Amino acid sequence: MQTTKFEQVNETVYNETLPNGLQVYLVPKQGFSKTYAVFTTKYGSIDSHFRTRNGEEINVPDGIAHFLEHKMFEKKDRDVMHEFSKNGASCNAFTSFNRTAYLFSCTDKLDDNLNLLLDYVQEPYFTDASVEKEKGIIGQEITMYDDNPDWKVYMNLLKAMYKDYPINIEIAGTIETISHITKENLYECYETFYHPANMLLLVVGSFEPESIMHLIRQNQSAKEFPPAPQITRLFPKEQAEPAQAKIEANLTVGLPKCMIGIKERDQGLTKEALLKRELATKLLLDIAFGTSSAVYERLYDSELITESFDFDYSSEKDYAYTIMGGDTPDPERLVETIQAEIEQLKQKGIDQDDFERAKRKKIGNFLRSLNSVEFIANQFTSFKFNENDLFTVVPTLESITREDVEKRLNEHFVVGQMAVSIVRSASQQE
Amino acid sequence: MSANITEIAFQSTQINGMNVHILPTGKFKTTTIVTMIEQALSEETVTKTALLAMVMKRASARFPETKLLRAHLDFLYGAIFDVDVTKKGERQILQIYMEVPNEKYLSQDDSLLDQAIQFVGDMLTKPYVENGAFLEKYVTQEKETLRKRVESLIDDKMKYANQRVTEEMCQGEPFSLLIQGRVKDLPAITGQELYQYFKEITTSNPINIFVVGDVNPQEVGQAIQKHVPLERSEVQALDISNSSKQVSDERKVIDRLDVNQAKLNIGCRTHITYKDDDYPALLLYNGVLGGFPHSKLFVNVREKESLAYYAVSRLESHKGIMMIMSGIDVNKYERAVEIIKQQMDSMRQGNISEEEMSQTRATLSNQFRELLDSARGMIEFTYNGLVSGRKRQLDELLKGIETATIEDVKKVAAKVDIDTIYLLRDKKGEA
Repeated sequence: MQTTKFEQVNETVYNETLPNGLQVYLVPKQGFSKTYAVFTTKYGSIDSHFRTRNGEEINVPDGIAHFLEHKMFEKKDRDVMHEFSKNGASCNAFTSFNRTAYLFSCTDKLDDNLNLLLDYVQEPYFTDASVEKEKGIIGQEITMYDDNPDWKVYMNLLKAMYKDYPINIEIAGTIETISHITKENLYECYETFYHPANMLLLVVGSFEPESIMHLIRQNQSAKEFPPAPQITRLFPKEQAEPAQAKIEANLTVGLPKCMIGIKERDQGLTKEALLKRELATKLLLDIAFGTSSAVYERLYDSELITESFDFDYSSEKDYAYTIMGGDTPDPERLVETIQAEIEQLKQKGIDQDDFERAKRKKIGNFLRSLNSVEFIANQFTSFKFNENDLFTVVPTLESITREDVEKRLNEHFVVGQMAVSIVRSASQQE
Repeated sequence: MSANITEIAFQSTQINGMNVHILPTGKFKTTTIVTMIEQALSEETVTKTALLAMVMKRASARFPETKLLRAHLDFLYGAIFDVDVTKKGERQILQIYMEVPNEKYLSQDDSLLDQAIQFVGDMLTKPYVENGAFLEKYVTQEKETLRKRVESLIDDKMKYANQRVTEEMCQGEPFSLLIQGRVKDLPAITGQELYQYFKEITTSNPINIFVVGDVNPQEVGQAIQKHVPLERSEVQALDISNSSKQVSDERKVIDRLDVNQAKLNIGCRTHITYKDDDYPALLLYNGVLGGFPHSKLFVNVREKESLAYYAVSRLESHKGIMMIMSGIDVNKYERAVEIIKQQMDSMRQGNISEEEMSQTRATLSNQFRELLDSARGMIEFTYNGLVSGRKRQLDELLKGIETATIEDVKKVAAKVDIDTIYLLRDKKGEA
């Protein structure tokens, strides 16, 4: 078991890669009552075109990773959620574009819960009848999202930004696509992506690391796994520019919703370079549009934005983009104004005081996040999947210079890379 | 390894006419300061309180411009500062939230805690005022923001349905009011009136300040003494009448909007509140019925019949209301109501297994112990004890959950009445 100390944030990480390839990370939190465990596979909604273990190239229906996540909870002779309930744990799972995570939190019986987590995720059980039954439940989940304007404006923006890359597809699929899912293709996906060598287990909270690592080793060594399959994902080549400049939809809303996306042109950054780009871009966004920026004040005073205005930068090796926006009475004017403000900012450059302040703010915010075992649990794995370490955020932030941010301003804030998504009520149509 | 239960042990004192509660703990990397000003929920004040929360966070005498105020917060290592309103039964709580990093984790040794308390003190004692009024610009803008906030309720159909059923069910009771207030009240409120109101509630309404973090209680007390020099009159407990209406007939209400999924909300009166002895049994009742994935609603509505993605019940413990919520296909409305009623009947008959009880005890205890890892959670728990008039210790509540029997839950079930069945549905089909 390796130990890494992160002095500045006073956290220690224990880790080990087991013989079957599973990576295990333990983050004990002194004085906490709760423990959170997350078992994640590097398999999400975008992984729908790949080679099977026999080298055969297949396309599976949209929404299958999410469907598989739902079906993992059902077993032949027991219900996993009920087992967790008996131990007082609350369990959950989620599927994103590039991963599927199974998790629980508990304040008692950690050993039992951890064995349960490892066992149920490593024991697929699908029948034709239970697959059919799930279609009704997921159908309602999809319908619920269809009524959610925040989700609609976001997914539509991804569709506008990405032409071929599959993050433009709904994570849960559609009622039509999930109707084609069978137990056979669930098993196919499971066997390809749920091998321990493609997975990571993280435990954060109140426990003694040695004994927990021992338990995990024992659990895993008692099981047989085939050799790790070579995973070949087949992605289409994505064009650099957005697929379309503007996309609109109608749903009942109080005020129209408007999101602006900026698609990153260059791909392929990894490790520290990827993290540094992400943090520099987030600093840039805060300096340019944060609540204490001059731009925010002007937009708010002119009633073009409300308190719902927000922004974020998502960054992965194969795709990265900024999203900003919120509720606005006049989407078209909001877009024009933001584009004009960006041009002005490029003229003026980044102010040193603004830069220093944004940096302090980010450092403080990050420290605050570390109070939350949920935050650590949710972030740690995505950092690891990109070969980075969550606890190096503070030193990486400290290493970023004003020039780094200015460079991002010029290379990322490019009008030709922007796309706009608008959702308004039919009656708000221009 | 089972976690040790530790009490949530705030040290309480009176400073400048306010109740101050301090909890020193090394668990967190930040210090949290929450100030709660209590107000009776009423038509007269609901909008003023909501608007005041928004105007307060725009400026102070020291930072008359919002941009300067926010820049100062960023400079305090991204201190989190917010003023908001929440509902607890028939109370409206104006809440000033502040959180700053502990200096220990920073290379600089700025006195962030002292500056944070000063910042909160400014909000309470030195607002930005011109000619005895809040600045017209901020008042006008925040009226507009509040109006948009109220109107955007419709964006989230789950929240919208929940507010609509509450309005229908509690007509004539303060609890029916939306916590952000009423759009129709906004035009009449002036900066002057709002400032008068600010002085009134900071002088006479109950105020509780909570501080959680790696702090020295004496130093915190001194800082509050110095930076929050409120001159308070004799503080009276508010007159909150928590009527628990008897239910004669179930009401049915249907709203229509452009939606794909129908929302079924069933509002129930439990006639039990936080302060009552059978509150722990009510928690178990709600847990067995619809609080968790092992609950009757989840198992029967979702797992057995695939009618819904979610089917849950939630308590509002200060008012004694339980809300059942589900998202369904509109054609399954009758069936969903039937199954939900069957589950409630079955609980009335005491059809509850030992396994359901032990699962619910375990998951409830887990939820309450998890509060110990969150400053906000510990403050909330303690404040619930204060406003309800029954200060329960965490251990006491956990013991209540452990010892309540099936018989106790059956007694609770006998008290629970369906008041209003609400359906938010599409515009298609017969009217």
